Order: sequence, then structure tokens, then C-alpha cells
Amino acid sequence: MIERWNRDQVLALAPDAPSQKAAHGVSSPAKWSGTGVSADALWGECKGSGSKPYRACVDLSEPAYKCTCPSRKFPCKHALGLLLLWSADGVPAADEPADWVGEWLEGRRGRAAKAAEAGAARAARAADAGPADGRRAEQREQRVTAGLADLERWLADQIREGIAGSRRHDQWDALAKRLVDAQAPGVAGSLSRLGAALDGDDWPARLLGEYALLHLLCVAHRRLSASSVPSADGAGLQDGAEAGANAGGGVPAGLLQRVRERIGFSMAKEEVIARGTVRDRWDVLGRRDEEHDRLTARRVWLRGRETGRAALVLSFAPAGQALDASLVTGTVVDADLAFYPGSAPLRAVVAARHETTRPGADADPVGSDAVGSDAVRSGAAGRAAAGTVTAGQAPARREDVGAGPPRGTTVPQALDEIAEALAGDPWLDRWPVLLEGVVPAGSDLRVLTGPSGGLALHPSEGTPWRLAAVSGGHPVTVAAEWTPRGLRPLTTWDEEGRVIVL
Amino acid sequence: MNAAAQWEDLVSTALVGTDRRPIAGQAASEVELLERAAVHTLRTRAGRRPVAGTEPPAPAAPEEQPVVPPAAADRFAGLLEGKRPKLLDEWLAAASGHGYRLSPHLLPQLLDHAARDRSIRPHVGVLAGNRGRWLAGLNPSWGFLLEEVTAAAVTGFGGDEVWELGTSGDRRAYLAARRATDPAGARELLAATWEKETPADRETFVKVLADGLSDDDEPFLEAALDDRRREVRNEAAYLLSRLPDSRLGQRMAERVARHLTVKGGRILGNGKILVTPPETCDAAMERDGIRAKAPRGTGEKSWWLQQLVARTPLAVWTRLFGGSPRDIVRMKVVDWRREVAAGWVRAAVVQGDPVWARELFLDDPLADLLAVLPPAERETMAVDFVRHHADRHGRLVDRLVGVPAPWGPDLTLAVLEKIIKLSSGTQSWYVGEVTRLAGERVDPGLHETVRRFSPEPPIQEVAALLRFRDDMLKELQQ
Repeated sequence: MIERWNRDQVLALAPDAPSQKAAHGVSSPAKWSGTGVSADALWGECKGSGSKPYRACVDLSEPAYKCTCPSRKFPCKHALGLLLLWSADGVPAADEPADWVGEWLEGRRGRAAKAAEAGAARAARAADAGPADGRRAEQREQRVTAGLADLERWLADQIREGIAGSRRHDQWDALAKRLVDAQAPGVAGSLSRLGAALDGDDWPARLLGEYALLHLLCVAHRRLSASSVPSADGAGLQDGAEAGANAGGGVPAGLLQRVRERIGFSMAKEEVIARGTVRDRWDVLGRRDEEHDRLTARRVWLRGRETGRAALVLSFAPAGQALDASLVTGTVVDADLAFYPGSAPLRAVVAARHETTRPGADADPVGSDAVGSDAVRSGAAGRAAAGTVTAGQAPARREDVGAGPPRGTTVPQALDEIAEALAGDPWLDRWPVLLEGVVPAGSDLRVLTGPSGGLALHPSEGTPWRLAAVSGGHPVTVAAEWTPRGLRPLTTWDEEGRVIVL
Repeated sequence: MNAAAQWEDLVSTALVGTDRRPIAGQAASEVELLERAAVHTLRTRAGRRPVAGTEPPAPAAPEEQPVVPPAAADRFAGLLEGKRPKLLDEWLAAASGHGYRLSPHLLPQLLDHAARDRSIRPHVGVLAGNRGRWLAGLNPSWGFLLEEVTAAAVTGFGGDEVWELGTSGDRRAYLAARRATDPAGARELLAATWEKETPADRETFVKVLADGLSDDDEPFLEAALDDRRREVRNEAAYLLSRLPDSRLGQRMAERVARHLTVKGGRILGNGKILVTPPETCDAAMERDGIRAKAPRGTGEKSWWLQQLVARTPLAVWTRLFGGSPRDIVRMKVVDWRREVAAGWVRAAVVQGDPVWARELFLDDPLADLLAVLPPAERETMAVDFVRHHADRHGRLVDRLVGVPAPWGPDLTLAVLEKIIKLSSGTQSWYVGEVTRLAGERVDPGLHETVRRFSPEPPIQEVAALLRFRDDMLKELQQ
């Protein structure tokens, strides 16, 4: 049986704020009939405006959603309302799913298996690419090279003429378009996001920094391509784990991969998976959605319990439409992740999942003197630190006491890790940190301070009142997204070990 | 040159351009500048040191109250986002009544809400706990909390030093508790510090005297008619109007005797009340609470007359005219009926007089009058009104708001019948309002009865709301 998620975790699955509101409207027991929850599925019928009730169900193991309502939102308010009802302990347990639920689950899992086969087949096809593909790939290489040469010249012109008059948001439009035509969408995206560098009084310094890193990317591509031209699909390149090793002409292969990814050479998911996976129990630390050009990017940050590896699962959807909601903040996912190749591998896809649990959910909390797994250990430590339950003492009611935060790092450790990642990937601008024992400090509480110093929040973040309220001036564990300008807090854990989405 | 100065130099060169300010000894200054800038940018990003010297605030004091159960906290978060302010109020009252504190992560939302809505602050004072007060110390816009009543005062742990040292809210609670057991003692306590209290506190504290009011309070209240704060004077005048033997009561009696007289066969039969409204509002009248300035759209005489009646002890009328309240209410008032009746209604409400309220309600079923009646009678009258008279008196909701929660089975049944009748008739446009009010006021324990009453959607809506409230109150009792 999957441990119930709390309200914040459910609401975090909503595609937008109106959906969260609408979900409350259909979360009361009176709206539902025929509800039930089994080992991995949750279902019920919700009275709608029509004569037939809507049937909603959730595959909790993924999670995946299904509802007979016509809404284009995903998950729809019925699925969310049902989850809210469940999170408030309002759904009775059942051994077997209702018939219609069972059919859906089977159908879905069947399709998933087929999709995996098809993916594998595609990957196999890609591996022996035909001559036509080769020509197309060669053509693209030429276009990208020309586009980047353009960009390099443009940057040099800017610096020769001076950037004093550059505080205008439209100046990169034409250039970005040229780079889209040159099939370098990654660089085009970086250009269209340059506007953010114009905020604040220090904009000339920040804009210069961004220009310098773009220049570095152009130069890197020019030099690396000259010494090692990869085949179209990137086959034959080495994994990021061997980033330090030099391929053929003295070029670090991982770095070349990273440069190509920045430029916008994408790799099919199947291909990434085919390169090998890392199995671990991954803590879902939190997530951030950002909208740009009517496209929403969702970043879900993970950290492996055994490997300590950071991972980013990125997904996109047109603004207002369904985003991947399968990774629930505060849960632990036992999964195989496949990392995109690079010199500081971060971006990953979930290749296979084994089971979703909350930390410690698989351990019996009553009388567990033999503290077996990391999960239980860190959970107990978290509670002991908060002074609510001493280590080894069993919580009275399991659902009331969350399993507590995963093990984090100190501020200097986090900074070391970031420095190392930057050494592999100079263009890195986000990294997940999990700080342990920090307190919001300073006059507006915008510095997360531990015993050996602190990290400031991003300038666009206000005073983190919710985090401050949870902390009360006592040390807490905070998951945050590091950016060069400061932290964006994502998640914390309260005195009862409950995960709190910030 | 140190790194920072070098960087500044690079930035200022970039601003004017390398054409005008080339880098010495470099053939391609612009490329050199971009490369140096890249090195610097990365060095800054990778070499960042922990920020030193930021002091965390002193930690919050440990909590003394139990935290609300998780399900209740989740429901509260849902209510905050919803559009049912009445349900939120009910949750706050119930949760603070149990002496709970709110889960810390929800406090900022609660405090923001209370910053906008004063009426919930006494509940917030309890629910905020020590963590909330710690936050209020850090955020000036939540500073109001520091004057609110604390859980310790509500649960009576404060002891007598609360009056000396407590917050405004605590002191009010202490005074009210003292007034309930020892009215004279409470008044003397207040009189002793009266001169030193702030105007806002004087206003709050004088209202406490409404409970247990007696002629013994008269000298204190008479003196308060000369207070510097208008709200204090106003409240004192209203309290005195509940004491017919007070000096204010006597002055009002003399005034109304000058302006209202009975002509004809006294009360019984065809007696009429003749009215000569006041021509001026003198200083003595103002001191007794009558406002000289009429609101826009109201004539001065009409305004003064109405207040004169409203601020006169109701007992004065029976003495003056020699009949029962029923007789007096039914007498004809020549020309000024509207003003006199409005004054009586106001007086019945302010003085909490059920006898007058009952008679006046039969004449004009106003919600405010219902609120004055004892609960059992109020419900009976409301049932009778809903069943037999509602159609003639416009909007049902406007009357029913006078019956506070919880509505018992009889009134509930009457209202449900009415809802069904309304939703099939031409007045269906306001069924929604009646439905909402019923959902908020009916005893939530009746949700199953209501659900079985009828499958009509508005009834099911009421049932759903009652079920929600029932669940809500139960999960707070855990």
C-alpha cells in the first residue's frame, strides 16, 4: 500500500492555480461515491452536471490519471479532488480495484510496454542510420557552424562598439531567429532569455557575463568540432562519467557532448536509455515551472540516496496544458535513471520505476529498533533535530508523522559540489542543493545560514515567510535550486517531518 | 589590481567599446575582453564563499498549545483558497475554541488574512501560538497580533497580573471574565486605570460593561459621557439607555415627553401619538449621544427624532403612555410613524428587550429583532414567518440572517420546504442565497436528515455543505 500523500503534495500536481481551486470544490465526500483505494490505484465516481457521474482514477504507482470528464486540464479537477479526499483519509481501502479501473490499468500498462518496445526499436534503427540521415546530419552541422560563426562575429561587434546602449529587449530577436534557422535552438533560447540580464543596476556586468559565456560556447564548438567530428546521433561518444578522459584529438568527449546539448543537438530518449542507467532510490526534492514563449518547462530535481547524484527531469508542455506530474515532491522513487551525456551529467530521464514510496514507508515504524535503512535513519535524525520525537522512539501515528527530510549537506559542501559541476560545465546555471541545518537569517531573512556561513536567495525571491514560519529560527533542511544569482527555495520539512512545498 | 577592480575595468571598457578603449598590447581587444570576462564570470560563480555574518533571529519560544490535527490543517488551507468566508470564520472559531495552534507553514497565510480582516483577529490570537507572535515580531504588517488575546488568557492561565502586563486582547478577556463573576470588582478595576488607558482600549473595555450591567455602573458611565473619544461616549450613552433610572434615562424621558404626546382616549381605542420633532440639537442632546449631523438624504428633524426615540429607555414609554408595549406599538403615530418605529426597533435591539422585539417583529419582521429573542422563541417565530408570511415580506434571506446558527430541526424543515417551493416558482433567482444561508446556519448534525429530504439539487447542496461542516467540526474534536 502506498503511503498517503499530503495536501501540498497533491496540489503540487495541479497544472495551474485555478485547477487547485476547482479541486477543492470536488474534494468533499458528498460529491463522491464508489470510491476505493487498492495497493496502487485510487478511484471513484464524481457527481457532475450531467446525469452520468464522471469516473476518475489514479494509478498511484506512476502516478497516472484517467477521468471520463471532457476537461483538457491534466490532471483534471476530479482526479485532484479524489486525491485530496484520499489525502484526508476519506477513501476506504479495497483489495481489488473496481472492474472499470482494472481494465484501464491493464490497458495502460499494456500500452506502456508497447511504447517501450517501440522505443527500443527506434533506438535500434537510429543506431544503424542510413546514408540519407547522414547527409541531413552533415547539412545541419554546416548550418550550425555558420550560425555560430555569425553569433561570434555579432558578439565581437557588440564589444567593439560598446554595450552602453544595449538595455533594450528587442535587440536579440533577429539574431535568435537566425539561429533557429541555423538549427541551433539551444543557443536561440539562450539569446531570447537574455532579457533577464537587463534587470537591476548591475545589468552591464551581467550582460557582459552572458555574452562572454555565449562567446565561450561558440569558441568551444569551433575548436572541439575541428578536432573531433561526431557522427549524427552522437554514437561512439563516451559517457559523461568518463568526461575527464580525452577522446581522439585531445578533446574531452563529455565536454563536447555538453557543448552540443547547449547548442541544441538533442538526443532521443530511447538513445539516452540505451546508453545505460543508474538505479537508486531518488528523493524528489521539488520542482519549478517556468513559462517562456508560451511553453512551460517543468524542472523536477532529484537526488539519489546511495549515489548522492543530482538529477534533473525536464519536461515541456504548451502553456496551460498538462505537464508531467509523475514525480511527487517529498516521495522517494526507486528507479533507473538514464543521464544525458555530458561533462557534468545532470539532465536525466526515468527509464524504469520499481515502486514509489515515501521515505521510511517500507519500514515498520513500530518497534523498529534495528534501524535498517538510510531512510529510517535520516527520518529519525530529522525528528530528533526538531526536538519532537527522540531517535528510536516510535511515532504514535504513522500518517501524522512524516518520515522527515533526506540527508542534506552543509553550505560549504554544496558550494564545493557546485564548483565541481561548473568545472565540468561552465554554462551550468541551475543545480539542486539540499541544505541541512540552515536558518533563514539576515534583516529580511533572505540568507539561508548554517554554522559555516550562508547562501543568499535569488533577488526576485521575497522574504521566504513560509520557510521562516516552519523554521521559527531553528535549523531546518531546505531543498533549493541554485542559480548564479542565488537560491530559489523549493521544499522544506516541518517539525513533524511533513514535507512542505515552498 | 584585485579581481573586483579588474572586473569593473572590463565592464566599463565593454560599455564604451574596445574601438574607443582598446586593451593595450592585444590585437583583437574584443575577443580578449570576452575571454577575460568568461574567466571572471566562471571564477565568481564557482568560487563563491559562504555569506558570513548574517545573524538568524532569536528562535521562537516553544509552543504550549497542541497543534491542529493534520486533516484540519489541510481543510483550513482549502478554506483559505475558497470563496466561503463564513466557513472559514466557523473553522477559526471552532479551532481557537479548542485552544489549538495552527501548523506553522500556514501561519503566513492566516496572518495575511487577519491583516485584512479585523473581525477574525481574536481567533487568530489563539491560533497563532508563539510561532505566530515570533513572525509578527519580524513582519510589521502582522504587528497587530502582538496586541491580540493569547491562548493563555483564554484558557484562564494568566492570573491577575494579566490585567497589569497582558496584551490589549488579554486584558479585555481578563476584564470580561472578572465582570462575569464580580461585576462591581471589574468596574472598579477598570475605573482605577481608566485615565491611563489608550482611547482604543477605553473603547474596547467600556463595551465589556454591557455584561452584568446595573444601576451601580451609572456614575462611571455618566462620567464616560464626557470622554475624549466619541466611540466611548456613544457606547456609554447606549449602555445608560438600558438603565431607565439613570440620569441619562431621566433626561431622555423629559425630552420625549416634550416631543411626543398622546391624544384621544389614551391607549385603548383610537388613541393617537402626536409628534412635534425637535427643532434643534443642543449640546445636552449631543452629550447624551444624539448626533447633530444628519446623514446625506435624511432631514435633520427626522434624524434627531429617530435618535431621540432610539436612545430612550423603552420603559419610559410605558410610563409615559400608560399601556403595554403591544398597545403602544399598535397606536397610530401622526405623520412621523416611520421615524418613531425605526427608533423603537433600534432601541429594542440595543437594549436587548425581547418583549418589545416580539411586538415590533409582528409589525415589521426585521432580522435584527429576531436576534434579540430567546433562542427557542426566535426559532418558533422564524418558522411561523417562513411558513406563513415570507411571501408578503420580500426577501427571505434578509430576515433569516437574524437567526444565528445552529438552526434546529423545525426551522430547517420549514426552510427546506421553502427552498423547494421557491426553486419551482418564479423566484428561483434567489434560491441560491437561501440555500447558502441554510448550509451555513443549519445544525451540521442534521446533514443526513437533509440529504434524505429531497433529491432536488438545492437541497442536496445544503446537505453537502452541512456534511462538510460536520466533518470539519469533528476533525477538530480529535
